[in-house]
Amino acid sequence: MARIGLLVPSSNTTIEPEFYRALPPGVTLHTARLFLTQITPESILGMVENLEQQSRLLASADVDVIVLGATAPSFLKGMGYDKELIAKIEAATGKPATTTSTALIEAIRHFGASRVVMGAAYDDKVNAIARAFLEANGVTVLDAQGLGYVDNLAVGRLAADTAYDLAKRIDRPEAEAIVLACTNWKTMEVIERLERDLGKPVITTSQASVWAALRIIGGMPDVRGCGRLLRDIGAVRVATLST
Amino acid sequence: MYGWRGRIGLLVPSINTTMETEFWRIAPEGVSIHVARIAGGRHGTPEELRSMEEASKHAASEVAMVEPDVVVYGCTSGSFFEGPAWNQRICDQLTAISKAPTVTTAGAMVACLAAGGHKKVDVVTPYVELTNERLKQFLKLQGIDTVKLGTFDMLDMFDHAKIQPEEIYRKVLDITTPASEAVFVACTQLRALEVLDMLERDLGKPVYSAVQASAWQAYEALGIDPKIQNCGSLLRKLSAPEQRKSERMTLRRSV
Repeated sequence: MARIGLLVPSSNTTIEPEFYRALPPGVTLHTARLFLTQITPESILGMVENLEQQSRLLASADVDVIVLGATAPSFLKGMGYDKELIAKIEAATGKPATTTSTALIEAIRHFGASRVVMGAAYDDKVNAIARAFLEANGVTVLDAQGLGYVDNLAVGRLAADTAYDLAKRIDRPEAEAIVLACTNWKTMEVIERLERDLGKPVITTSQASVWAALRIIGGMPDVRGCGRLLRDIGAVRVATLST
Repeated sequence: MYGWRGRIGLLVPSINTTMETEFWRIAPEGVSIHVARIAGGRHGTPEELRSMEEASKHAASEVAMVEPDVVVYGCTSGSFFEGPAWNQRICDQLTAISKAPTVTTAGAMVACLAAGGHKKVDVVTPYVELTNERLKQFLKLQGIDTVKLGTFDMLDMFDHAKIQPEEIYRKVLDITTPASEAVFVACTQLRALEVLDMLERDLGKPVYSAVQASAWQAYEALGIDPKIQNCGSLLRKLSAPEQRKSERMTLRRSV
């Protein structure tokens, strides 16, 4: 039995269902919310102020790991900002923590990908910050395109085929993986289809967040139906045992 | 969009690990649960319980942003402790903040007992004596007598979740009296949901729980038949077509 503590932007309607869809038996999800209406730099900085208090509420449920399940808020101030937020959460709670942006970088490294294309729900401003964050972490972004959304609730209303379409549109032969960013954008149900159709790993921010949390807990079985990344979790463990 | 059939905004005491898990477990296709945590302590002292009124407003404003179709204030003692008027005030305040009808666990408890026509009930709780007395008073003020109350008598609310479903099953069987018309298992942190069906079959009378009653009133407010077949007669009633409309109208008026 293990418990994941999840911090979500208050207006996010997608990440909780996507986590539930992916959790192995015996792992439960416990959520706390951080105020966020607009995906703009000003709005996001305000959200982070509440981070420590909400993290403590999750710690009171004795969760095994705390995930800041928000993409833009964890890369907003560039390289290393995600690590700062992790340190804040860990200092406030004594629990291991991660963020969506941290998970995204780790997932890209897991596949050994150095060149990716990125699709996102964001507008150009936030998209440029996302791109800079990936590049500062040593990932070449061959193309980054956003759907232009600023209102977070509107992102939650998008159907998953918008993620499928954008991924197909931005893919190019040199890309070693496809990144789909924004935890309020429905992506989980199209990952497997995209990987079959494009023949390369598809990493989405919700999927990577689940993956990072399960890796911190450790000893997890593989998770089916949510792409290669989560399917690899059990395999990695088997490989470790056999060496 | 997730929750296209209905979005439930669920407010739980920060230490609660049972209620969101059970709400997700029974959620049907198209219904999503969005949680916010109510800051508070873990010992359920009078001060802590009273402070939940203020803290719940903060949680309601957070969950309001998913535009929920119903808000559930998921704590029994945190809604009965200061009496029926207090419960109603919490309900009204959270509705004003969230713009959605609000269900409280204490309100759902009384509503499900009233809907069953029960005047005499046995009650199982994890609470200490003072809280148990307040619960009996709350029921009494609304025309329901507690025949027998059995308790696990634990101060630490986080630890209430460690009580196993089979222990709850045993406790209900041990304390139930022939005089009671139904049994209510209080506290949204108790894992009663999975033994309700067995208890009803073995006892031959309705057995309700805090999480179940809250879910029942939430689905009534949503106007959704969730088709939950294995969590007691109360939730199955939501799928009985001939009863549904009239009950729903009654509830719409009270929510």
